[in-house]
Amino acid sequence: MTVFLASLGFGLVTAAVLAIASVGFTLQFGVTDVLNLAYGAIMILGAYIAYVVNQAGLNVWIGLVAAVAACSLGSVLLNSGVYTPFQRRGTSPITMVIVSLGMTLIIEFSVAAVAGGTSVSYVMAQGKTFRAGGLILTTVQLIIIALSLVVMAGVHALLRYTRLGKAMRATAANRTLARNCGIRTGRVITVTWALTGALCGLAGVVFAMDAGSFDATSTDIFLVLILAAVFLGGPGQAYGAMLGAAVIGIATEVSAAYIPADYKYVVAFVVLLAMLGLRPTGLLGARA
Amino acid sequence: MFYLLNLLIYAAVDAMACLGLSQQFGVSGVTNFGFIIFQAAGGYAAAILAMPPKSANGGFQSYIGGLNLPFPLPWIGAAVVGGLIALPFTFLVGRRLRGDFAAVGLLVTAVLLNLLVTNYVPLFNGDAGLSLIPTPLRGNNGFSVQSTGYQWGFAVGALLLGALVFLFVRRITESPYGRTLRAMRDNDVVADSLGKNLLSLRTGMLVLGGAIAGLSGGILVSYITTWSPAAWGYAETVVLFAAVIIGGASSPPRTTCRRT
Repeated sequence: MTVFLASLGFGLVTAAVLAIASVGFTLQFGVTDVLNLAYGAIMILGAYIAYVVNQAGLNVWIGLVAAVAACSLGSVLLNSGVYTPFQRRGTSPITMVIVSLGMTLIIEFSVAAVAGGTSVSYVMAQGKTFRAGGLILTTVQLIIIALSLVVMAGVHALLRYTRLGKAMRATAANRTLARNCGIRTGRVITVTWALTGALCGLAGVVFAMDAGSFDATSTDIFLVLILAAVFLGGPGQAYGAMLGAAVIGIATEVSAAYIPADYKYVVAFVVLLAMLGLRPTGLLGARA
Repeated sequence: MFYLLNLLIYAAVDAMACLGLSQQFGVSGVTNFGFIIFQAAGGYAAAILAMPPKSANGGFQSYIGGLNLPFPLPWIGAAVVGGLIALPFTFLVGRRLRGDFAAVGLLVTAVLLNLLVTNYVPLFNGDAGLSLIPTPLRGNNGFSVQSTGYQWGFAVGALLLGALVFLFVRRITESPYGRTLRAMRDNDVVADSLGKNLLSLRTGMLVLGGAIAGLSGGILVSYITTWSPAAWGYAETVVLFAAVIIGGASSPPRTTCRRT
């Protein structure tokens, strides 16, 4: 039981990190219609930007803000510089996946070229350790969970109650129709890249905090978790991604307590393949 | 001189792999982001078929199989395994799934299989990988595997096999079956409505491409005599994709030229 509760604690933190990342990913895909596999690469770029700020002697939480800003800008540039020119020429979705995979390698290996191939970690205090009925969490882990909850509430408020959120949902549902109704879809898409890029940067830094140490390719496997969470909930479904992140995050960490920890990602992998094969629209998506 | 030979053999192996991928991606529109899996499977198959049982060499590496089969069998086995391992993936490329989702499924499979082979040591010696894989005809009288003559023989053999694969692939592409494949690539809904069985066409292409990739992996492994998870990261698939796209996705001759 203690093993279960301890792993549940890890699972909650992983789920929190995963929720931030997969909500960003799924919104990006839903609104912009680009399956951006470079998401993981931007995450690790954000983690390294926070690392640079941290190495300069500043607090890592300041680095987090810098990473969020940089990834937001970077995602907008990635879209306007790479994806939009391809989309304008009517490139098929599958070719966009190849392009984004190419960008993944370019970004990851650029980061590796600048930062070196070794693992790095932040200089930060883990804070006091809290225990509650078998759950053991550090202050940093609690902050990550709280950040995630704030982000989820923010995304909910954005999508439900703001004009921008409504415009985003309309663009995701049918871009042509949305434009005919007077929504500036181009602007909505740019704002979506900025927002999801910010989520991506945030996810990257909290991922690095949670992992302890990271290198340029650390998010390769994490991208599998993101994809599993996104496809479990249904691509483009923000609430589905939250649900998927909770399930995948807790399932991988709790399973690590019972099977060799090297294989914990297999759970996510099996879920992803099963969803792709049986119900590609996800649990919360419409029936295909 | 040795470097040139080295390059020739690599070119033959990669050209073969590119032909397989071009057949899937360029001719029939099956975007196989897990292509490297099949090359890896062929490599491991050739390795464990050719290697002696694992107790040999003091048992310093652990692996399954170790059948110690004579020369042509490991390569044939590599092609067969490459083709067979493609079968489970057919459920991803059926009609219901969007092309890019299927591609993501295959990509994720490539990442995860690499992780599994890295961590599960009894299968293929884990992260360290297999080494001392026998080269073809080693141990026969009159063959010194280090000699330039042997290297020339290997290069010519690999190039010949590459040429055979090329002719075979071109026959398929230009046959009526190949026309059906191209129709499926250009518009699968129309091909479907004309009564073409997309699932069986795609299965056929996955198996064919997988077998070619497996053969190329087998040849590569018996040349470099070692094979480890680091050699088949998911990024290797992107390199092959780059070669195929630069060469022109649907034309076998040009695809073959642009590699290495």
